[in-house]
Amino acid sequence: MIREFTKGLFKENPIFVIVLGLCPALAVSTQVVNALGMGAGVIFVLLGSNIFVSLLKDFIPEKVRIPSYIVIIASFVTIVDLVMQAYAPGLSRNLGVFVQLIVVNCIILGRAEAYASKHTVGSSVLDALGMGIGFTLGLLLIAFVREVFGAGTITLFAMGNFGGVIEIPGLSDSPARVIGLATGALLVVGYLMALFHWMQARRAGERGSTARDGAGGAAA
Amino acid sequence: MKLPRLVVVGGKLAIICTVAAVVLGLVNAVTGPVIVANREKALMAGLAQIADGANLINVRIGEGVTAEASGAVAASDEVNAAYPLITGSGEAGGYILQLTGTGYGGEMSLLAGFYPGGEVFAAQLMENQETPGLGKKAEDPAYMGKFLGTGGERPVPTGRTELPPAEADAITGATITFLGVARALESGSGFVRDIDDALLRSAQ
Repeated sequence: MIREFTKGLFKENPIFVIVLGLCPALAVSTQVVNALGMGAGVIFVLLGSNIFVSLLKDFIPEKVRIPSYIVIIASFVTIVDLVMQAYAPGLSRNLGVFVQLIVVNCIILGRAEAYASKHTVGSSVLDALGMGIGFTLGLLLIAFVREVFGAGTITLFAMGNFGGVIEIPGLSDSPARVIGLATGALLVVGYLMALFHWMQARRAGERGSTARDGAGGAAA
Repeated sequence: MKLPRLVVVGGKLAIICTVAAVVLGLVNAVTGPVIVANREKALMAGLAQIADGANLINVRIGEGVTAEASGAVAASDEVNAAYPLITGSGEAGGYILQLTGTGYGGEMSLLAGFYPGGEVFAAQLMENQETPGLGKKAEDPAYMGKFLGTGGERPVPTGRTELPPAEADAITGATITFLGVARALESGSGFVRDIDDALLRSAQ
């Protein structure tokens, strides 16, 4: 059961391994605070849609399953959008159109179709949490690299006397601005993806050599 | 009696849509008034901030008037409303205009302050759907610096070549946003130059 949760974090990470939801990942990852807001929105929508798709899987006719999933997903996205506009207007302004575009985020529809429509509510909740947190961590990593090197800052939520922006000495005066632009986004995602695949291949290699050693020992 | 399959399938989809609509209606009923209040608050804060930039003593913001009601011949689609800045002596020290520009993400709402000669003294990007990290940079108060002092004797810059090199670099990746803001300010400047005293009189 726990594997349903952990698979989304690393082994099947939505951004770096399954390569889903790249459009918002590239677009909103200019600031760490955007990644946090977008991640929270995606987790909420993914959780809500997975629960309802799983609950209604026997009610929804096969022929209209995709329109039904879209209605469920769009409803949760609209709830997120309205709640953000009402109670976090600053974040809503920052994320702009990308909140509404969560509807067409392939991760959400992908998990509804590939997982929640075939599994129990419990498993679907764990899958949604794992995939949502995996997406958020991936987004945070991209945003952190882009904002630190592209702007020389780390932008978080403003609280009390803290204005929300941490300036990094040396980098904030002369940042590599290209990292903050679309070109930089593609470069950063490409390098992080390569790092993820290299780490996975290394782990797989270690597991393979351990298995061979075990088999060799048994044969001896 | 067995219902035709199409009716069953359509009926089930209709039920899902109805439940979704009811839930969204309830959420809207709760959040709607808060969203409207937030917009009103943002508009008031924006007006106060723009008025502060006018360097006028004892100025107060008059009632907003729609562009059509202002009597200005140059009323255009970009100008939505005008708020006169009334000085202690009752004269118009300038105007704050609520403008609409077209950016990369569609319509953008702006507030901009103009002296009676059409010179921009302050501007602020309000509601917009520009791309975070690119067009959204126009929300930064420093971004509008390139337009201040223009619209009077100096024309509003509407192209990269009309900006100093350092400022031209700052609009890289967001030239459509820049053009949208520039054209809205240019229209606002023309509107203010053309405005007649009817606006001021109606506001007093």
